[in-house]
Amino acid sequence: MIPGRLHRAGTGLLALALLLAGCGGDGGKQPINLAGGVPVGAVLALTGNANVYGQDQKIGLELALKQRNGVGGINGRPLKLALEDSGSDEPGANAAFTLQINNGMLALIGPTLSQQAFSADPIAQRRGVPVVAPSNTATGIPEIGSFISRVSAQSSVIAPLAIEAALKLQPGLKRAAVFYAQDDAYSTAETTIFQQTLKGRGLDPVTVQRTQLNDQDFQNQISAALREQPDLIVLSLQAVDGGNLIRQLRELGYRGLIVAGNGMNTPNIYPICQKYCDGVLIGQAYSPELDTPANNAFLKAFRAAKGGATPPQLTAQAYTALQVVAEALVRLDKRLPLAGANLVEARKALMAEILSGSYATPLGEIRFTPEGEVIQSQFYVARVRMDPGGRSGRFALLK
Amino acid sequence: MDLIQILVNGLSVGAVYGLFALGYTLVFSVLGVINFAHGAVFTLGAYFTYLLIGGAVGANGLLAGFALPFALPFWGALPLAGLGAALVALLVERVAFRPLRRRRADPLLALITSLGAGVILVNLIQLLVGAESYAIPTGALGGLPASFPLLGARVRTVQALLLAISLLLLAVLSLWLEGSRNGRGLQAVAEDAETAQLLGIDSTAMVRLAFGLSGFLAGVAGGLVGLSVSIAGPYFGIGYGLKGLAVLVLGGLGSVPGAVLGGLIVGLAEACVPAEASGWKDAVGYGFLFLVLLVRPRGLLGRPLPTKV
Repeated sequence: MIPGRLHRAGTGLLALALLLAGCGGDGGKQPINLAGGVPVGAVLALTGNANVYGQDQKIGLELALKQRNGVGGINGRPLKLALEDSGSDEPGANAAFTLQINNGMLALIGPTLSQQAFSADPIAQRRGVPVVAPSNTATGIPEIGSFISRVSAQSSVIAPLAIEAALKLQPGLKRAAVFYAQDDAYSTAETTIFQQTLKGRGLDPVTVQRTQLNDQDFQNQISAALREQPDLIVLSLQAVDGGNLIRQLRELGYRGLIVAGNGMNTPNIYPICQKYCDGVLIGQAYSPELDTPANNAFLKAFRAAKGGATPPQLTAQAYTALQVVAEALVRLDKRLPLAGANLVEARKALMAEILSGSYATPLGEIRFTPEGEVIQSQFYVARVRMDPGGRSGRFALLK
Repeated sequence: MDLIQILVNGLSVGAVYGLFALGYTLVFSVLGVINFAHGAVFTLGAYFTYLLIGGAVGANGLLAGFALPFALPFWGALPLAGLGAALVALLVERVAFRPLRRRRADPLLALITSLGAGVILVNLIQLLVGAESYAIPTGALGGLPASFPLLGARVRTVQALLLAISLLLLAVLSLWLEGSRNGRGLQAVAEDAETAQLLGIDSTAMVRLAFGLSGFLAGVAGGLVGLSVSIAGPYFGIGYGLKGLAVLVLGGLGSVPGAVLGGLIVGLAEACVPAEASGWKDAVGYGFLFLVLLVRPRGLLGRPLPTKV
């Protein structure tokens, strides 16, 4: 019996060891698997309540991939993009990051939400895999580690612009009400910036209402806020909850200005708040009107793919993220040929290459700080303008 | 906050919770198990309503771009969506519950099969129509105003309708249960299925009836909530499912009036949360449930379990 038990225990330990070895994945001397192309991974929220962003981002990645491979890929070798759905929560992002890293991706683009990034980015940091975030705007994302960067300007840069625009439209604003989702990293980071900006302009919020990401009914918070008779409402919410809140606000009679944060910076809010989206002010990191060769090429590709529609910011940022990785890979491959290169070393060298470059993108000329924070010079404010039927609309830039 | 505003906000949300929990209750009363696919049926009700009023499927999913060749007014679409949801609930009964019942399997196993059926339905929705949000157009109620004043409070018309329809359905169901042959048959099966069978009541038919009614209520609730807020993807019903469970337990497992009372209490408890702590309203609802169960483990109107000797 005892030898039998020992045998079973030994077999079990061996299986466990093999499993752990398999999970390790990176393998110190593992070469890059270039079969089928140069592997880059993307992790986007394609399901769950953040899918409205992921769908926008997916289009951007597909267009960038097509553009890159149309001009010869990575020095003649095609760029290969592996897309994983992270859902809209942290466990989904963690699992997708781990899978992509174990599959030998040279770099990762994603995840969609800042909340997910704070959970999944440390995995990439520990494993030494470059991450370029296309849409994480919360404070502290590049500070997660030396392998983490972003092309999405942080809230502190963009959020104040929309408040300034509101004050320019109505200089007599006196009573601001603030809403934010208390269980979301992006919302809590952005509302801090909004509130600081409001106080700096002598507009101490008359009320701060907290919600949760999955809330759909906001009557209690709205009733409480409206009793304070605000003339400006400032929202740091995601698209679905924010769209619902705007609709309920307007239905309950609020007629004043609304400033929304980056979470609502997507045409996917149109079907949610419909005609009530009209007039909402949102800061922008992208302008379709930017007249540069990079943006014109992006616009042309997007319009061809989407029947003449105008690309949203999230699509432009996702396009930019893959463009940055691809251009860095082209430079790296010339310096350190990817064929036969060690995966761990190539990832490390790629991160350095990403941070050292300058990129002509649809967002304009961008660079990175040594910490991985994007340096971008042009920002805008848009006002949502809905068509008469309330089914579709556009982000009209304020001059 | 003003008392009227609290009452309006709390009752309108609470009525939906009650309607939702009633579906759980009907099935629990005849089978003694919770149907975890109920949230998915509720979600389907919202999608059915959206499609029946002429809504088109978005760019994702196998049915991308699909729209029915006709568009019904909301008041025509809602009962049809309820019927569609009832058919799905009957299918769930046929696939996930009946085979186990025939084999006299432990009722607890049906928890797992119903959970599986719910997961399959949710993923099927995602496969067919994608994960994006849909919304019933704001003009679906025709010329009705978006909101109206009531004793100093401001009420969204859709919330008032939600409350009125929910209470109407609850009243009709209660009358039907007490005053009709089938309603009394359902109660008899809920009391003791074998004895009811000996008395000539077809308990299998009653179980089907319970599932059909439960599905109809879930479908109508889904359509109403979809009108009030957007349909936030295939997982739309999960939050309501959890809240419905809490309401079911609070009101007393298997008690129809308990489901209604529990729903209204949870809705009002959430509405009473002060504005500064509004993000904690879920915690208040569940905390209230916890406190009630401490002093009354069978829920507010639940019957005590018989003592076996």
